[in-house]
Amino acid sequence: MKSIEEQIWEYIDGELSGKEREAVAKKIADDNAYATVYVEMLELHKLMAAVELDEPSMSFTRNIMDQVNLEMAPMALKTKVDKRIIYSLTAIFLAAIVGVSWFTIAYTHFPALPLPSLSLPSFDYNINIEEFVSPLTLQIFFFIDILLALLYLDRLYRSKKA
Amino acid sequence: MQQQTDQALITAVLEGNSSAYAELVNRHKRFVFTMAMKFAKNREDAEEIAQDCFVKAYRSLATFKNTSKFSTWLYTITYTTAMSFLRKKRIATYSIDDEENHLQLENSISSYQANDVEKKSKYVYLNLAISQLLPDDAAIITLFYQSEQSLDEIGQVLNMESNTVKVKLHRARLRLKEKLEYLLKDEVKELL
Repeated sequence: MKSIEEQIWEYIDGELSGKEREAVAKKIADDNAYATVYVEMLELHKLMAAVELDEPSMSFTRNIMDQVNLEMAPMALKTKVDKRIIYSLTAIFLAAIVGVSWFTIAYTHFPALPLPSLSLPSFDYNINIEEFVSPLTLQIFFFIDILLALLYLDRLYRSKKA
Repeated sequence: MQQQTDQALITAVLEGNSSAYAELVNRHKRFVFTMAMKFAKNREDAEEIAQDCFVKAYRSLATFKNTSKFSTWLYTITYTTAMSFLRKKRIATYSIDDEENHLQLENSISSYQANDVEKKSKYVYLNLAISQLLPDDAAIITLFYQSEQSLDEIGQVLNMESNTVKVKLHRARLRLKEKLEYLLKDEVKELL
């Protein structure tokens, strides 16, 4: 059950349907309690509706525009992302997919497809390591190692310094 | 000369004419500032909040989708900015404010009593009473009476259902009436 105040506010705000509105109007006309509340609420309503807005300082707009001019200009999102780029990328990928699919289908003979015969390649385990390792290759190997170590130390030193 | 719509001005800004934004600011600054005053209680802070709102709105202008009125969108920014301001400043929204306002109120009333013309001013008392309300109540009343926003639009601004807004508006008006009665005591009968 709505209080008298609630009914009156809804009546004043124009939120009641036709029949409800008529019913409240009748109560206001016939019932002193409703009439008193109505007069009070209506006066308050008129007062609040007539209150003037506050006025900011004269420099308000100028201050905002000064700040706004330092900002990056806003752009409509549609201009930020060029749709042509999206369409071009889509076209490239679609063409690649279609091309690969066509190539696969065109060069595959499905009826004559033989079952793959898997066999490991023959491998000679008797490797003579001395054929590959000579004093010169060892020197080159150690030289590269020292060079890499120096580079690593240099980078470490720089990162610590930073 | 025919006045450009808000949307036309927004389009102009997005096309690079940033000076069109000044017109948007001029159109909405009074309400945004009034809303900010309901939270900040002094002009300096209110101006800071209001300016912050317009700068934020400018930055996000490209995301405005035109599914609601520009004013509704702007007032949403105003409300969230003002609430953040309150949190930052750690302003107690009820009990402390109430005591402070009480003191301010007594000073204000005594100064008004010295002036018969001002004593009669209904709007001075009404503004005082509104400033005594919780920020949310003051915001709802301000949005409803001074911004030409429907209950649905106020709901969007405050992130509430329109039915909740209706209930809150009803309670806010009752509290406002109580504050006015307290403020004016015997004069309330004459005023209302």
